[in-house]
Amino acid sequence: MHALKPLALGACLFALPALATASALTVYSAGPGELIENLAADFTEETSIEVNIFQSTTGQVMARLESEQANPLADVVVSASWDSAEALYHQGLLHEYRSPNAETVPDVLKTDHYVAQGVSALALVWNRNSDVPAPADWSDLTDAIYRDQVTMPDPAQSGAAFELITGLLTALGEEATWTLMKGLADNGMIVPGPNARALNPVLQGAKSVVFGAVDYISLGQQAEGEAIEVLFPESGTVIAPRPMMILASTAMPDEAERFIDFVLSEQGQARVAESYLMPARSDIEALRPSLDELTLIEVDIEAMNAQRDAILGRFREAMGN
Amino acid sequence: MAARLTLRLPRVTGAGLVMLLTAAALLLLVGLPLLYVVLQAIFPGWSRGELSGAFGLFVPLLSDPALLGLLGNTLRLGIAVVLACTLVAIPLGALRALTRVPGGAVWDLIFLIPFMIPPYIAALSWMLTLQARGYSEQLTGLSASDFLFSFSGIVFVMVLNVFPVVYFAVSRTMMSVGGRYAAAARVCGAGPWRAFWRITLPLSTPGIAASLLLVFALTIEEFGTPATLGAQAGFPVLVTGIHERFSDWPIDIPGAAVLSLLLVMLAMAAFYLQHWLVTRRSYVSQTGKPALVERAELGPWKWPVLGVFTLVALAAVAVPMLAVLATAFTATLSGGLSWENLSLRHFEALLANRGGALQALSTSLGLAIGAALITGVLGALVGYLAVRARLRGKGLLDLLSLLPNTMPGIVVAVGLILAWNQTWWPIQVYNTSAMLLLAYACLLLPYPVRYASAAFRQMGESLEAAARVCGAGFFTAFQRILLPALAPSLLVSMLLVFAIASRELVASLMVAPAGMRTVSTFVFGQFEQGSPGVGMAMSAVAIFTTTALLVALTAFSRKRLPIAG
Repeated sequence: MHALKPLALGACLFALPALATASALTVYSAGPGELIENLAADFTEETSIEVNIFQSTTGQVMARLESEQANPLADVVVSASWDSAEALYHQGLLHEYRSPNAETVPDVLKTDHYVAQGVSALALVWNRNSDVPAPADWSDLTDAIYRDQVTMPDPAQSGAAFELITGLLTALGEEATWTLMKGLADNGMIVPGPNARALNPVLQGAKSVVFGAVDYISLGQQAEGEAIEVLFPESGTVIAPRPMMILASTAMPDEAERFIDFVLSEQGQARVAESYLMPARSDIEALRPSLDELTLIEVDIEAMNAQRDAILGRFREAMGN
Repeated sequence: MAARLTLRLPRVTGAGLVMLLTAAALLLLVGLPLLYVVLQAIFPGWSRGELSGAFGLFVPLLSDPALLGLLGNTLRLGIAVVLACTLVAIPLGALRALTRVPGGAVWDLIFLIPFMIPPYIAALSWMLTLQARGYSEQLTGLSASDFLFSFSGIVFVMVLNVFPVVYFAVSRTMMSVGGRYAAAARVCGAGPWRAFWRITLPLSTPGIAASLLLVFALTIEEFGTPATLGAQAGFPVLVTGIHERFSDWPIDIPGAAVLSLLLVMLAMAAFYLQHWLVTRRSYVSQTGKPALVERAELGPWKWPVLGVFTLVALAAVAVPMLAVLATAFTATLSGGLSWENLSLRHFEALLANRGGALQALSTSLGLAIGAALITGVLGALVGYLAVRARLRGKGLLDLLSLLPNTMPGIVVAVGLILAWNQTWWPIQVYNTSAMLLLAYACLLLPYPVRYASAAFRQMGESLEAAARVCGAGFFTAFQRILLPALAPSLLVSMLLVFAIASRELVASLMVAPAGMRTVSTFVFGQFEQGSPGVGMAMSAVAIFTTTALLVALTAFSRKRLPIAG
């Protein structure tokens, strides 16, 4: 019977951990890992409510929510894409809550069911050690100087990059946007994947500029000594608010609401600012250019999302595949 | 299913009971998640509990012209990697088994390391090394980004990841086929080459074919390398397509499930090809008589052979490891390789336990050991069941035991979530570490099963029969006769399971319970959030820890572990 011992051991392993996770608030978060950990630790200290974090990308968080529908486990969800919150809301999966701390959050960043934790914007990221000059605007990158020097996050995989395209469509119009994209592709721009994959070649210097990087990651790296510069084009850019929401299925609505209140408190928003995001509350200082210092393009997100597939199709076409 | 199996068993003996339990475990571990994926593919609303629109997705998805491209790329990649592995690993394995390569055991250890380097880390390392202004250009002025970001580049990096599967299978099989038959051939007048081509190589076919099949399956389901290099090379494959559906908003789980079934069918075709190859004749070569392996002296060939081993080790282990270390020990990527840029800050971040780095390491090691034990036991039993047991439906069980290797990790993960996150289970397994154990055991079971069934195929049935005649029951015979003969290859496969489980990424990302981190999810998170330095520092620590553990294990039980051979 020797052979069966490990099986029995395995069975014990299966049974034990089931006991460990009761009565803690479960938060699924896409976004800076350190931020959500600090927020959770501060929150636990203040309220002695334990928090379990599942930290990943927006895509993974959403896939997990989708496959858990038979028995949802998350109480609070922090996403990096506003339209994912909207979609969950339309499926009737969200708990209605307006935090008293959301008073100074601008109206565009809150609804009855979700509210921004913080806001990022899209930017050009340029490697200072590169041989090319710093670009000033999106369209500069079609110039022959930038031949084979540009990367862009894939709008199919990065919600923020998709919003940049919709912003350009709004500001420049269809024809000019696709001409710009075609020009970038002809100039050798590559689209290697989500944000980090577009940024890494620029960090090492294999490429020189990211077209449409999420700013806070690059700002953080700049602060850590990387030779990069985060540039906001004068002609305007788009913002990517990061919504947080409570699932209607939660068994701990009070604790979940307290968590939202906490993230929107001065202490919580200061943590958000530390990660180089813009705090959602307008009365909290940011460590970076804030909403009123940026030229923003107003985008009709709902209308744009309705044509998402068509836009991504046109993008792929412009990229030549 | 289980009921039908009992009816076909000869009698309810100890053996019958064990086989029944084995079949049940296999169905639970592999069959259940697969079943849920199939149901999800058929009923798009399954995860919401809706049964409408059955089969509605198959036609639009399968008639998508882009799919043909994905399918073609996947096949091309799988075949190219198998061919390249054949060319690299079979000669290496044969040399290791049949000749006195200086430092034999050390090479075995070195060639285990590629398993401990996560494929996406290896791909990233090659990228950091070969791209313009990469480490290679900084050191030697040479860059090769055109090569790296191409079909050949992807094949190159993937072969370096998976060739050890074939190397170990070939060398272990040829060792056990042994000098004996070749020696007999030599006595009968065959030269060494003739003995090799006519005796050793053909008798080793099951092991080699099984390992090549594994390589094919691993290649078509691997995500990290195609995702890292393929996007720049313009080379999408089925797995990246499946991942896109899983992780691009809006999530399309049913569509991903349909594509996954396609991938599973591809692998099934490969399985049947291998099955057809190895069951056409008998490969029994172990009769239980002691076989002293006599290894040929290399003589003047020693140096070229050493040169080849070194070259492969450099490419598969040294280059990626150096790139990992370079990134981990430099303060900034843009600062490049210079003394001023040398920094321990990424390791300090780890030691300060930022983001739970230390817990992640111990979690991963514990889970990897658990997965190795579970799959080892189950693998040996399933292997026995597939080769020896006389029951209907065993082909299905055999197939089931291989399937996880053909399903992308993310599909297994979603299958597991769909299956286990149900309120009606008496014990809630979902959202506990047991889910990770289930996922690893499911994904990695094929290794022990392949190795064990190849070993059983070579073992004479007379051995077991003799034991039974002498009065040994199933357990005694299994423990005293079969297990010792099986041990070498089973242990190698368990080491593989340990190595791969200690760094599995894709399924871990999906099923890790909230609040728990593994090495791989930690590293991935660091990359995603723009701290490649900390990610690489953690990778380095994990790779060195698992390697040290294996070395210690090997040194500790030198006589019993095959790796010390």
